[in-house]
Amino acid sequence: MRTTLFAAALGAAALLGAIAPASAQRTDPCAGPITFGTTISATGTNSTLSDRWMKMTEIFEEEFNRMAGGVALSGCGGKKVPIKFVMYDDQSVPATAVSLYEKMATVDRVDLFVGPDWSTHGFPVSQIFEKYKTPSVMSNVATPRVYEQGFKYITGLAFHANTWSQNYFESLKNVNPQPKSVFWIVHDNLIAKTVYEIHKPIAEKQGIKTVGEEIFAPTTRDFTGIILKIRAAKPDIIYISSFDAVSVPLVQQMRQLRVTAMDVHHIMATGSLARQINLEGVTGELYWHEGIKGPYSDIALKVLERAEIKLFDYLWTGGRLDSYFVMIQAIEKVGKLDREAIATALRAPGAKWKRPGGEFEFDAGGLSKIVAFTHQIQNGAPVIIAPAAQATGTIKWPSPTWQ
Amino acid sequence: MTAIIAQLVISGLLLGGLYALVAFGLSLIYGVVRILNFAHGTLLAIGGIAASIIFAVYKLNPVLIAVVLVLVFLVFGYLMHIYLLDPLKKRNPFEATIGTVLVTVGLLLIISDLAAEIAGPTPKNIPLEFHAYIVGEVIIQRAELYILGGITLFTIALHLFLKKTWFGRAIRAVTQSPLGANICGIRSKQIHAQTVAVGCGIVAIAGVLWSLKFPVDPYGGFDLTVRAFTIIILGGIGNLVGALLAGLFLGLAEVFTSFLWASDWAPAVSIVLLLVILVVFPRGLASVRK
Repeated sequence: MRTTLFAAALGAAALLGAIAPASAQRTDPCAGPITFGTTISATGTNSTLSDRWMKMTEIFEEEFNRMAGGVALSGCGGKKVPIKFVMYDDQSVPATAVSLYEKMATVDRVDLFVGPDWSTHGFPVSQIFEKYKTPSVMSNVATPRVYEQGFKYITGLAFHANTWSQNYFESLKNVNPQPKSVFWIVHDNLIAKTVYEIHKPIAEKQGIKTVGEEIFAPTTRDFTGIILKIRAAKPDIIYISSFDAVSVPLVQQMRQLRVTAMDVHHIMATGSLARQINLEGVTGELYWHEGIKGPYSDIALKVLERAEIKLFDYLWTGGRLDSYFVMIQAIEKVGKLDREAIATALRAPGAKWKRPGGEFEFDAGGLSKIVAFTHQIQNGAPVIIAPAAQATGTIKWPSPTWQ
Repeated sequence: MTAIIAQLVISGLLLGGLYALVAFGLSLIYGVVRILNFAHGTLLAIGGIAASIIFAVYKLNPVLIAVVLVLVFLVFGYLMHIYLLDPLKKRNPFEATIGTVLVTVGLLLIISDLAAEIAGPTPKNIPLEFHAYIVGEVIIQRAELYILGGITLFTIALHLFLKKTWFGRAIRAVTQSPLGANICGIRSKQIHAQTVAVGCGIVAIAGVLWSLKFPVDPYGGFDLTVRAFTIIILGGIGNLVGALLAGLFLGLAEVFTSFLWASDWAPAVSIVLLLVILVVFPRGLASVRK
């Protein structure tokens, strides 16, 4: 009996020992390495977008520590300390991501978080950051509602859903003939629906009338019903707000059933999509492109090369890498490992942050104000058509392959 | 309007035919061995992915790819039954039922992740370009005609195989009474293993035909399993003709729902049909005929 009581007391003490320091910071804010906790959707439904990111993150750790020499801590006499990642596969399941972040906070006791990706994950996981008062720079969490919860410890790297197709609609003002109508095809998903809801009034304000809108479930295989509606409506623009993988049969069947339009715009016109179907002439958005050089692009390009990742294939890789760069900059701004100070620095109004695609700011809720590059697939490769300052070519209008 | 209806009917028949093909294997396995194979749709996805990779690398004719895959899947199905499913029969009926669910769900998870690891998680298809026939405003892809023809021939062949061959009669005997079949010299354990093998062989053919029309990914199979369950309940368990009719009905219902109502309601049709059939015709379409 005494042995059992002793074991129980020991177990309780160990449990308390494991939990108590979780919200506390390490005692020496100048010691290295600095640990970043993250989850990646290496398996499961979202892994089509991120299955190479675990390898990429390992390479990032190695290359950043080698090329930059580590994070410069001005508050510690300019000492440079290496970074180290603690990584898990969230299997594309939000609930799994939540439990893994809880584990990293209490068992692995990481210093800071980077990630997770996707709005579906960012929503529930943001509670963990608040609970443990540990700042995180999430990646590819673009739904504004995630940032409207009044949380202090979250920031996120993504194109802002509010400005997702801003450059696209701006570029439409200069095309001839002018488009007058649009048909919206929307994947039943949080971010795809948000982008559609935001851009529909923008298009109408620009004189582009909505002549049809359809929401489709991710399991939809046959799109004949939608396509026949499009053919009847005869829109000038067909705007597809969808993840790439689920829209493969849609675009394939649009081609087969001879759909015509001035332009077909796909918010995720990726290399993966282009390998399966004819995407020639389709316009879309890119987060970053290898041809656009900026801060940290030397490290980023080296990492991408070693990880065998092309940004056109893995559209969201830029957001993931940027989350690492921004967290490193936040630590360097503070000069030491101080979670409260880092959280405050990340949300400081007007603060500028660097990324390979250029400089940006966070909005009041913590979501990056990044506007996507608009591209058109020409001869099998993406050509940047907007903004004009970074354009690598001009738009072919009306799109020759949809006539 | 006639052209629109014709286009919808063609698409619905094609989709329904593919659904029916997915359901055939599941129906056969459940009808004979009484095992709910939750990995069935995932096996189709694996077949489709393998077919697309073989096509990309060797540019083989899809018919030859199907022959190769059927052989591989026959062996896989046989071994799956012998080593994973048959040992569960030693348990009491409740444990055996739960065990088969756990084993097939576990298999689903393992083969999905294995396939994603080996072939990558991105969707794959057989990107064969065929000409299209244009009749007025109706567009018919030649590939769709090939797929419809393939489904029809295969259904007839399978029906004859089960009705006219010794193996088909043995399957029916074991289905009616395993003990009686044993007394007549039919080794029911072997028939069970061979039935699972044939069910997996059928899914290999479905996988090849499916990847000619739609992309497949390692994680997209479970949704097809649910569709297949709906079809076998609708058509009557173990009834292939019923499964074909139910598959066609489901395909047409989804396509027409998408056009006449809204696209996001189309996938819900299978669930609604399932509920209606369970309540009104609990024995499937067969009970209506009787």
